[in-house]
Amino acid sequence: MRRWAHRTHLAGFLLFAVAACGRESRHAPSPGRISVVDDAGRTVAVAQPPTRIVSLSPAVTELLFALGAGDRLVGRTTWCDYPPAARRIPSVGDGLNPNIEAVAARHPDLVVLYRSALNETAAAQLARLGIAAVVVQQDRLEDIARAARLLGHLSGTARAGDSLAAALEQLVASSRVLPPPSPGRPRTRVAFVVWDNPPVVIGAGSYLDELAGLVGAANVFHDIAAASATVGLETIVSRDPDLLVLLRDSATAEPPGFLRRPEWRAVRAVRQARIVYLSGSLFARPGPRAAEAVAEFRRRLEEAMP
Amino acid sequence: MRWLGLMVVVVLALALAVVLGPAHVSLADLTTSDIVRSLRLPRALLAFLVGGSLALAGAGLQALVRNPLADPSLLGLSGGAGLGAVLAIALHLNSPWALPLAAFAGALGAMALVYRLGLVGGAELDPRILILAGVAVGAFTAAVTTALVSLSGAAELRNAFLWLWGGLSGASWDSVLLLCVYAPLPVAVLLAAARPLDLLALGEEPARHLGADVEAVKRRVYLAASLLTAAAVAVSGVIGFVGLVVPHAMRLLWGHRHRPLLPAAFLGGGALLALSDTVARVAVAPRELPVGIVTALIGVPVFVLLLRRWTAS
Repeated sequence: MRRWAHRTHLAGFLLFAVAACGRESRHAPSPGRISVVDDAGRTVAVAQPPTRIVSLSPAVTELLFALGAGDRLVGRTTWCDYPPAARRIPSVGDGLNPNIEAVAARHPDLVVLYRSALNETAAAQLARLGIAAVVVQQDRLEDIARAARLLGHLSGTARAGDSLAAALEQLVASSRVLPPPSPGRPRTRVAFVVWDNPPVVIGAGSYLDELAGLVGAANVFHDIAAASATVGLETIVSRDPDLLVLLRDSATAEPPGFLRRPEWRAVRAVRQARIVYLSGSLFARPGPRAAEAVAEFRRRLEEAMP
Repeated sequence: MRWLGLMVVVVLALALAVVLGPAHVSLADLTTSDIVRSLRLPRALLAFLVGGSLALAGAGLQALVRNPLADPSLLGLSGGAGLGAVLAIALHLNSPWALPLAAFAGALGAMALVYRLGLVGGAELDPRILILAGVAVGAFTAAVTTALVSLSGAAELRNAFLWLWGGLSGASWDSVLLLCVYAPLPVAVLLAAARPLDLLALGEEPARHLGADVEAVKRRVYLAASLLTAAAVAVSGVIGFVGLVVPHAMRLLWGHRHRPLLPAAFLGGGALLALSDTVARVAVAPRELPVGIVTALIGVPVFVLLLRRWTAS
C-alpha cells in the first residue's frame, strides 16, 4: 500500500517534470530525481538529497536547521545568526544581491534564495552553472508551512517538513478562533514602529501583524494593506496605541533617541513610556520559532499592560 | 497687487496646513487640540521656513553662478548632509539631535571643500568651478554613503535613505525655534546683496566697473546660500525642486531685479512647501507621501502655466 502510494507520487512528479521540461525544452529527468516547483514557479530537480546547501536567507537557514538539515549547510548570509550553530558556517555575503562567485565557490548542490527580482535572476544564473537553485517566499506565517514542506521534500527530510508544516498550520488555524486575552477586557492596541524619521509602521501585510492577531492584540495600522508604510506622526497620535512595539537586536541597549524628541512626546504611549522591545532575530523573520514568538509576545504584552 | 496676491497665497497655505491633516480635528477644537498645537503648527511653520530658505538660496545662487540650472542641491551640500546622517546612524549616536547635527556638520564639511575648490583658479570664486566642484563633491559623498549603506551590517541604514529623500516629520517647536534663530543672518546677507547681484547679472567686468565689490559679493552670497541650505537639509533632508523652480517662477512675475525677487522667492518657496507638505500628509492618509514628490507635482504645472503666460505676453 505504502509502496503503491510512493509510486503514484513519483509518477505524478514525473508527469509534472516531463510537462515542465516540454515547456522549457530541457533534458528529461531520470527516475529517482526529486523535483519541486518553487515559489517563483520554477521547476527545480536534484538527483538525490543535496549534501552541500547554501542558504541566502536567515529564515531559510533557521528552517533548514529545524528540519535537521543544518549539518549540510556550507554557506549562509551575514544575517544568519540563529541557531548559534549557524554562525560557524562560512558567510557568502548579505544575500540581497548574491555574489554568484562566492556562492559557487562553496561547491553547493542546492542554493536556497529568498524570493525577490534580484534573487530570481541569481537563481537563473546559478542554474546555468548547473547548480540547483530554489526560490522561497517566506514573508508571512502561512508561507512557513509551505516552505517547510518544499525544503523538507527537496532535502530528503520530508517527514520533518510535513510535521513542522502541520504544527504551523495548526497555529494559523487557532488564530482564527482566538478570543481576546480575557473576556470583557479590550484588546491591547499596538503600533509597530520600525523607523522614526519619517515614521514607518507595520501594516496588515506583514508577519508582525499576524503575530499581533495571534496574541489577541490589535495593530492600529491594520487598515494599511502593505507590509509597512510611511505615516504621519499625527496619525500615530490620533490612533493612540496603548503600546509602541519596537524591534531591536540587543536587549541591553538604551532606548532609541527619538523617544526623547519633542514631537514624539505627543504620542501618549511615548509619554507613558509604554514601549515593548522585541528581538529582531525572533520577530522579524517568519520561521519555525513562530510559536515561540507568539508565546514571547504574549508574555511581553502582559508585562507591559498588567 | 502682486504682493497682495502672494501674501494671500502664503496665508492660505499656512491656514490649510493647520486646518487639514490625517487626524480629524474640528474647527472649534483647532485652538485647543494637542495635535494642532504640538504637531501641525510647528510643522507648517518649519515647512514655510525651509521652503523659503531653499528658494531664497536658489535665487541667490542662480544669480551668483549666472546659470538657470543652479540649485542648492548642486552645491554638494545634500551629499555631505547625507553622509553625515548615515555616519550618525552607523555609529549608533543615540542622542535625539544626533541626526540633524551630523547632517549639518556633513553639509558644512562639503561646503568647505567646494569653497576651497572654487578658489583653485586663483583668488576669485569661478562660478563654473563652483558648480563643477559642487557636483563632484556631491557625487563623491553619495558614493561613500552608498558604499557605507551597502557594506554595513546595520539593516537600519537602509532607512537612512528614507530620511535623505526629505520630509518634515521631524518638525517640533524646537526645530522651528532653531531655524528662527539661525536663519535671519544668512537671509539678511542675501537680501542685502540684491543690488550687487543686479550688477553681477551684467557680467563680472561691468559689475566691477559700476562699483560692485565682486569678490566680496560672490563670497558672501555663496556662504549665506550654503549656510541656509545646510540648515534646511539638516532639519528636513533633501527636498528638491523648490530651490530650482520657485526663483524662476518669481522671476516671471517680478522680473530680474533682485530687490523684489529675493523676498518674493522666500515667500513663494515657503508657500509652495507648506502647501506641498499638506498634500503629502492628506492625499493618501493614513499613509504619507515623500514631500519632494509633491513639490514637483504641484510646482511643475504652476511653472508651466507661468511660462506660457509669460511667453504669450
